[in-house]
Amino acid sequence: MPIRFNDVFYTYQANSPFKSEALKGVSLDIKDGSFTCIVGHTGSGKSTLVQQLNGLLIPTSGSVEVNNFTVQKKHKSLKHLHSLRKEVGIVFQFARYQLFEETIEQDVAFGPMNFGAKKEEALEIAHECLKTVGIDESLFKRSPFEVSGGQRRRVAIAGILGLKPKILVLDEPTAGLDPKGAAEILKLFKELNDKGTTIILVTHDINIVYEYANDVIVMNEGKVELHCSPEELFKEDVEKYSLETPLIQQTVKMCLEKGLNISPAKIRNVHDLAVEIARVKK
Amino acid sequence: MNAILGRYVNHDTFIHRMDPRNKFFCLIALMVAVFISYPTYEMTFIVGGAVATLIIALLLIAKVRILDVFKSLRVLWFFILLLMIINVFAPPTNAINIAFTIGKVNVYWEAIFQSLKIILRLVLMIMLTTLLTATTKPLDLTYALEWYMAPLKVIRFPVHEVAMTISIALRFIPTLLDETDRIMKAQSSRGVDFKHGKISSRLKAIVSLIIPLFISSFQRSEELADSMEARGYDPKAKRTRYRVLKFSLADLIGFILCSGVMAATIVISSFKWTYTTPHFVPWWILSLILVFLYMLLTALITAVVRRHRK
Repeated sequence: MPIRFNDVFYTYQANSPFKSEALKGVSLDIKDGSFTCIVGHTGSGKSTLVQQLNGLLIPTSGSVEVNNFTVQKKHKSLKHLHSLRKEVGIVFQFARYQLFEETIEQDVAFGPMNFGAKKEEALEIAHECLKTVGIDESLFKRSPFEVSGGQRRRVAIAGILGLKPKILVLDEPTAGLDPKGAAEILKLFKELNDKGTTIILVTHDINIVYEYANDVIVMNEGKVELHCSPEELFKEDVEKYSLETPLIQQTVKMCLEKGLNISPAKIRNVHDLAVEIARVKK
Repeated sequence: MNAILGRYVNHDTFIHRMDPRNKFFCLIALMVAVFISYPTYEMTFIVGGAVATLIIALLLIAKVRILDVFKSLRVLWFFILLLMIINVFAPPTNAINIAFTIGKVNVYWEAIFQSLKIILRLVLMIMLTTLLTATTKPLDLTYALEWYMAPLKVIRFPVHEVAMTISIALRFIPTLLDETDRIMKAQSSRGVDFKHGKISSRLKAIVSLIIPLFISSFQRSEELADSMEARGYDPKAKRTRYRVLKFSLADLIGFILCSGVMAATIVISSFKWTYTTPHFVPWWILSLILVFLYMLLTALITAVVRRHRK
């Protein structure tokens, strides 16, 4: 099993008057090559959970296994964490937390160089990754602070892709992006996932879960409330987990109420819905 | 960061409710009591012990855990050790009584007492400031500061602006710490090693931390300025406060107590009081009795105040 959490507890600022328990006994497995979405309220422990994956946070008790690595309190050897971080790439919500170089290409090359790549090699990887995320070649020599917010986010993602991680973790990647930019970025993740990268995506947007995920984790108050496939989750009323009903599901429901005899199975996005309506109308 | 040093801890106690302006005054009064010097070492430790008793009792009343305060003193250990060594090898000029000798070096009682005196003052000073910062919100502290600086308005000193700047700076310390933590995490995910490696790569690591920190601070300050302006902030305007500072009974008690302690220490320090240890009781037994008495006194004061509150 590539990712396994064994009864993980995590407490911020333990042994001080300011301590707060973020994870209270999390056990779960994530399969290789899955597109896993983690949903839950603000403060439910989503971000804390994903930061255990590359040893940014070490569990207060319990252990996390990722491929052949084990992250646990006694194993604090940094060499081991360093190679784990090549395996698991985390992209944080705000690009401003990681961009610092003079040009975009140098910034993306910074990651590979930290893992021992030569400068030319790293630049080559950088160009390739920037093309993957859809940054035009004319921007390569520009400063990362001159470009738009959406482009900056892409540069940040390219910076992590440069490490060629087997597992890509994204914390709220679409927050603050315009709908078009968000859709493009999600399409990119889908493509990466099709090529075999495990995608773990933390999000508030239930529509993303409905359209892209093949595995869903619902977090609540530091515990895993539900871990199942989206089909199972959306079979029943998701509002009891205080999640919204996805727009597509609402539309399908309305279509059925208005007497349109479509079959709701397998409708995951607008395209599917249109095809289905067209089929019924024929 | 486990240290309690300089952080506000929310409780509802007698001391938390005191007026920050008055607390500021009390801090200074007690500082005088801590730093005043006495003609003999015996007096220093007897009066110092009494002041320490009072301060520890106040900390207990304010529900500050003494253990946490000592934990935040950890950084001072090295300093204390250094002080000891310097004092022992460069004794005060009035040193006469030899405690023991190491090799050819005489260690004088005066040297030991001198360093103990400095350590006592240092620890008490930190306890006092912790007492103030742990029981007063930073914003209230700046109000107090603004109030004390008010006379400077006469010479056109921008009192309000300075107070506002200080309160904003204080407000953003935790935010900046969080931000630093986040940036470190983001860069660690890209393989930056902040703790190990060659000097050149560590320098690069620090650059990768500082630049995003600066950029986000500038962005934050611009946003803050915009939002203040959007709400019509004008430093010259006459303003009212949501929480009006009031001088209560608790303040009166605190004021009288602290000024009393200050006055008492000043009076005591002016006495020419000589005391010689009786020969039949060793000095360390006397010290132990004294420490025990002080502990008893601390417990008593705390218990009485706590019961009274209930």
